[in-house]
Amino acid sequence: MTHLPRARALTLGAATALALAACSTTDPNQAGTAAGSGSGSAAGSGEVQTGNGVTDAEIRIGMLTDLSGPFAAGAAVQVTETKAYWDQVNAAGGVCDRDVAVDVQDHGYDPQKAVTLYRSMAPDVIALQQVLGGPTSAAVLPLAEQDDVYVGGVGWAGSALQYANNQLPGASYAIEGANAIDHLVDGLGVAEGARIGVVYFAGDYGADVLAGAEHAAEERGVEIVAQEITSATTDLSAQASALAQAGVAGVVLGAAPTQLASLAGSLASQGVDVPLIGMNPTFNPSLLTTPARDALLANTYSITSVAPYSSDAEGVKAANELYAQADPDGALGWEVPLAYVQGELLKQALQGACDSGDLTPEGVVAALRESSSVDTQGLLPDGLDYSQVGQSPTTTVYLSKVDADAPAGLALVDELSGPSAESFSYGG
Amino acid sequence: MSELRGNPWPRRVGGLVLVLVALALPLALSDFWLQTGLFVMAAAIGAVGLTLLVGVAGQLSLGHAAFAAIGAYVYAWSTGEATSTVGGAGLPPLAGLVLAAVVSALVGAAFSPVAGRLRGIYLGLATLGLVFVVRHLLVNLDQWTGGFTGRSVESFALGGFSFSNSDPDYLAVAGVEFEGLHRLWYLFLVLALAACWLAGNLRSGRTGRAWANVRDSETAAAAMGIGVARAKASVFVVSSAYAGVAGAMLALAYGRVAPDVFSLTASVDFLVMIVLGGLGSVGGAVVGALFVTALPLVLAEYSGSLPFLAAPGSGGLDPSTASRIVYGLAIIAVLLFLRGGLAGAARRLRHGSAPGAPPSAPGPTPHDPLSTHDVGRPAGGPARSKETTP
Amino acid sequence: MTYFLAQVLNGLSYGLVLSLIAAGFAIVFTSTGVLNFAHGSVVLLGAYLVAVLHPTLGFWPSLLVGMAGSALVGVAINALLVRHLADQNAGTAAILMLGVDIVLLTELTRRIGNQVLTLGAPWGASVVRFGDVSLPTGRVVAAGVTVVAFAGLWYLFARTDLGVGMRAAAADGPTASLMGIRLTRTAATGWALAGVLAAVAGVFLTSFPAPGVAPTVALSAFAAIPAWVLGGFDSVPGAVVGGLVIGLTSALVTGYEGDLERFVGTGFGEVAPYVVMIVVLLVRPSGLLGSKEAVRV
Repeated sequence: MTHLPRARALTLGAATALALAACSTTDPNQAGTAAGSGSGSAAGSGEVQTGNGVTDAEIRIGMLTDLSGPFAAGAAVQVTETKAYWDQVNAAGGVCDRDVAVDVQDHGYDPQKAVTLYRSMAPDVIALQQVLGGPTSAAVLPLAEQDDVYVGGVGWAGSALQYANNQLPGASYAIEGANAIDHLVDGLGVAEGARIGVVYFAGDYGADVLAGAEHAAEERGVEIVAQEITSATTDLSAQASALAQAGVAGVVLGAAPTQLASLAGSLASQGVDVPLIGMNPTFNPSLLTTPARDALLANTYSITSVAPYSSDAEGVKAANELYAQADPDGALGWEVPLAYVQGELLKQALQGACDSGDLTPEGVVAALRESSSVDTQGLLPDGLDYSQVGQSPTTTVYLSKVDADAPAGLALVDELSGPSAESFSYGG
Repeated sequence: MSELRGNPWPRRVGGLVLVLVALALPLALSDFWLQTGLFVMAAAIGAVGLTLLVGVAGQLSLGHAAFAAIGAYVYAWSTGEATSTVGGAGLPPLAGLVLAAVVSALVGAAFSPVAGRLRGIYLGLATLGLVFVVRHLLVNLDQWTGGFTGRSVESFALGGFSFSNSDPDYLAVAGVEFEGLHRLWYLFLVLALAACWLAGNLRSGRTGRAWANVRDSETAAAAMGIGVARAKASVFVVSSAYAGVAGAMLALAYGRVAPDVFSLTASVDFLVMIVLGGLGSVGGAVVGALFVTALPLVLAEYSGSLPFLAAPGSGGLDPSTASRIVYGLAIIAVLLFLRGGLAGAARRLRHGSAPGAPPSAPGPTPHDPLSTHDVGRPAGGPARSKETTP
Repeated sequence: MTYFLAQVLNGLSYGLVLSLIAAGFAIVFTSTGVLNFAHGSVVLLGAYLVAVLHPTLGFWPSLLVGMAGSALVGVAINALLVRHLADQNAGTAAILMLGVDIVLLTELTRRIGNQVLTLGAPWGASVVRFGDVSLPTGRVVAAGVTVVAFAGLWYLFARTDLGVGMRAAAADGPTASLMGIRLTRTAATGWALAGVLAAVAGVFLTSFPAPGVAPTVALSAFAAIPAWVLGGFDSVPGAVVGGLVIGLTSALVTGYEGDLERFVGTGFGEVAPYVVMIVVLLVRPSGLLGSKEAVRV
C-alpha cells in the first residue's frame, strides 16, 4: 500500500461521518410488532409463530458435516440415512403440516469453514441436526448458543453439555468411561487394587473418557495408568509395552479404529491377554480384515451411547431397513442408528415446538429442554432427560463384544448403568 | 506495491475506490461474506507481517502461526474475566490488543538469537518446531488457555461501544442492521489498512533497505555499517507483532480460541499466501490471503450447486472432494503460470509490459528465502534460472 | 531393564523406517533443491497401491508395483511441474509441492474411505523374541531391508557413474553440467529413489503393529522431518542417524510418559522430536552430518 495521502484520509473521515449520520439505534421491529422473540414473526399459518427457516410449506434444517476430511466416509453414511429419514417423515405428512428439508454443507473438519458455513446457514434454518467433529462443533456451538439455535450430533464430549442449545445423543464419554471401569470390575472380574490402562486422544473426547474413568477408579478402588496419544499415532507398540510393564488387568481406549487395531495387536503380541474396552467410535467392521483380527475377537468390547447396528430393538431395525433401501451397498455401522435417532430427536423437538405454538429456533431449544423423559424405540436408552443443562441425559450405555458373525462386527451384550456412572456428575 | 513510478494518481484513485467499496460492503453482504471477510482481513495482516520477514528480509519462517497463537491467547487471557476454570486479567479490549502485539513481539525478540544462528531452510524448519512447542504449551497450560478445548474471547469494545450484537443492541446504518459481524468488519478494515500502510513505509524506508541488504548479503550489509544482528532481530519483532495482532483478530472473528486454529497447516497457509501473492509484496500478501482464505470457503459454500458431481457417499467425485482438489490445482496453476505470483501478474497487467520484463522497482525485490545458496547448495534444479520468455 | 530394552529396540526399529522417509527428503533436496511437502502423500500412495493390488498380484509383486508407482509419480512431478515453475526457486517449489500434496492426499483419502486397508504382508501379526523382549516381525524385516537399502545407496553414490554424477550435480550444478552430466537425469533419478524409499517405508508404517493403510499415514512423514533436519539436509547417512535419534526419543518419551508427566505435561512424545531438532540445530546449525554452510561474499 502507498502512503495514505491526506486527501484520502480526509475522504475517509468524511465517509465515516456520513455513515454515522445514517445511524439509528432504535429497532423498528421492536417498536412495530408485538414482543416477539428475536427475528420471529407471528405471521404464517394458524396460531403457530414461526421464525428462521420456516415457511407455510417447509421447515428447513441444517447439517454441517465432514464430507472431505478425516470422517468423510462415516459422515456420508449419516447424510444418506438422514435424508432417507426425513423423506420418510415427509411421506407420512411431515412435521407441523410442513415438509422438512435438509441443507447439507461440508466443513471438511476445518473450524474456519464450519464457522463461515454456519453464518451462511443460520439465517435459513430452524435447527442444526448435526455439527460433526470436535474442533468444528466447539467453534460453532457458542455462536449457535448466542443465536439460540438447536445443535445436535456434536459427538459425546462432556464439554458440549454446558450449552443449553446442545442435544447430546445418549450418554457422554465420561459416562462411557465410568461404565467401562464398572464393567471391568463387576463383569470381567478385575480385582480391587488392580491397575487399568486408559489410552486416550489428546482433546475433549479423550479427556472426557479419562475423567469418567478416573472418577470410577476412585469409587471402585482401582488404579488408572493413563497414556495420551493423538490421532496421528498409528503404532501403539510403545504404549502397549508401557501398559504391559505396569501389569494392567484391563484397558479402556478412547481413540479411533486404527488405534484399537494397533493396540489390540500389540498387546496380544506381547502376551498381554486382558479385556480391552473401546469407546463409541473406536470400532469399525473393516478392522476384522487386519492382522489384529484374532486379538480383537479374543477379548475386545465396545461401549456405545447408541444401540449397535446388530441390536434387535424396534427402532434399530427400522433404521437399518431404511438404510438398506436408501443405499443397498452402503457401509454398515453405528452411524446408521445414530443418524436415524438424531432425526428422531430433532423431530420430537420440532413437534414439541409446534405444539407449544412457537416454531422458531428458540422454540425448538425450549422444547428440547422441556423434555425430561424421551423414548426412542430402543435406539437410545429410554427416559433421556434433557432438562438438566450440563449433565449427561442418561447414565445407560450399550456394551457389545466384537463378534465376526454379528452384523457390523458387534454383538450386543447388555445395557449397562454402573454405580460409578450414576454417581458421576460434571463440575462436581 | 509501493513503487511510485510514473504518475501515481491512477493508483491512488484506484486505492481510494477500493477503500470506499470496502467501507460500503457491509451494507450489502450476507453473514457468510462478512465472516469470510473477517477471516481474510485477519489472515492478511499475518501475511503482510510474514512477507516482511520472508520476502523482504529473507528469514524463512514456518512458525508464523505460533506467534499468532501467542497474540490470540494473550488477547483472550488479558481481556477475559477469571472463572473457576480459566484465569483472566479483565483488562479493557484495546489494552488486550496492544498487549497481544507487544507480547508476540517480545517472544519474537527472544527467538531472534536463534534466527541469528540459523539461515534459510534451517531457520524455516527450526521455526516449524516452534509451532509444535507452542501447541504443546497451549494444551498443557490449561489454567490460562483452557487446554485443548480453548476458551471464549471477550468481544472488542471501545469507549462503551461493543463490536458485538449488544451495546448498543440495535444499530442500523442506512436501513441495514449492523450486528457484531458488521461492526467487526470496520474494526478489522482500519487495522488492516493501518498494517498495510505501516508495512509499505517500513519496506521502502531505511529499515526495509537494511533488511533487504542483510537478505542479499550479510557480509556486504555489515561492511555498509548495518548491524546485521539488530536488523534480523528487528524484522522478527515487527513480523511477530503483526502475527500477534492477526491472532487476536482471528480470536475475535471466531469468538473463541483453541489450539487447533493455530496448527501447522495455519503456518504453512501463511507461507502459501505470500508465495502465491509474490514474495516481498505487501499487496501480494493481501491478495494471497484473500485467495488462500476465501477460496476454500467459497468452494465449500457453492460446491453443492455444481451439477455434474456425484452425491456425497456414492463413491464418485463428490462436490466437497472436488472443491478441495480445485484448491490444490489452483495453487499449482498460479505457480506454474504466473511469474512473481499474483502481484507479479497484476504488475504486468497494469504496466502492460512484457511478461518477462524484470521488475524495475527501486524497493527491495522479491527474493527466495529458501535459496539453496544460503546452505551451500548448487544452483541446480529449481534454483537454476530459467529463460524468462514464455 | 527388559522394559527399557524393549522401548529401545522398538524406538530404533521405528527410527529406521523414519530414516527411509528422511533419506527421501534429503535425496530430493540435494538433487533438485525442493522441500518436498508432498512426500507424505507419496508414502501413502506406495502403501495404498500395495493394499489394493495384493489380493490379485500377491504381496511381493504388488510391492514392486508400489515402488515403481511411487517412483513414477515422483519423476512425473519433477518433469511436469517442478521444471515448469514460473519462478524457478526453492520457495515456490515447496509451495507447489503443497498444492500437489493437497490434490494427491484428497484423492487417496476419498479412495480409502473409512476402510482400514490391509497389506497382506507375509509376516502378519507375528513377533520375534529376543530373550524377554519381543519385536514385531515386520519391524525386524524393516530393519533388515533398511540396512540393505542404505548399503545400496552407499554403493550407488560411491561406486557408480550415475551416483557420482548425482553428487557432482549436487555439489555444483553448472560445473557438473559443463562436464557432461545431464542434470535432468540426475534429478529424475533422485525423485525416483525417493519414491522407492517412500513406498518401502509406507509398507512398513502400515503393516503390523499399525493396522493398515489409513490417510493418517501421510502425517507420519512429518515425523520424519525432524529426523531429516537434525541429520543434515544433504546427508543420507545423516538421515539414518536422525531417524534413529528421533525414533529412540519418541519411544522413550512415550514409554516413560508417566514419570515425565510432572515435568513436561502430557503428550510430550509428539513434541519431543521437534525439541531435539531445535536443540541440535542450535548447537550445530547445519545438522549433525550436514555439510558446513558456505558464506557467500
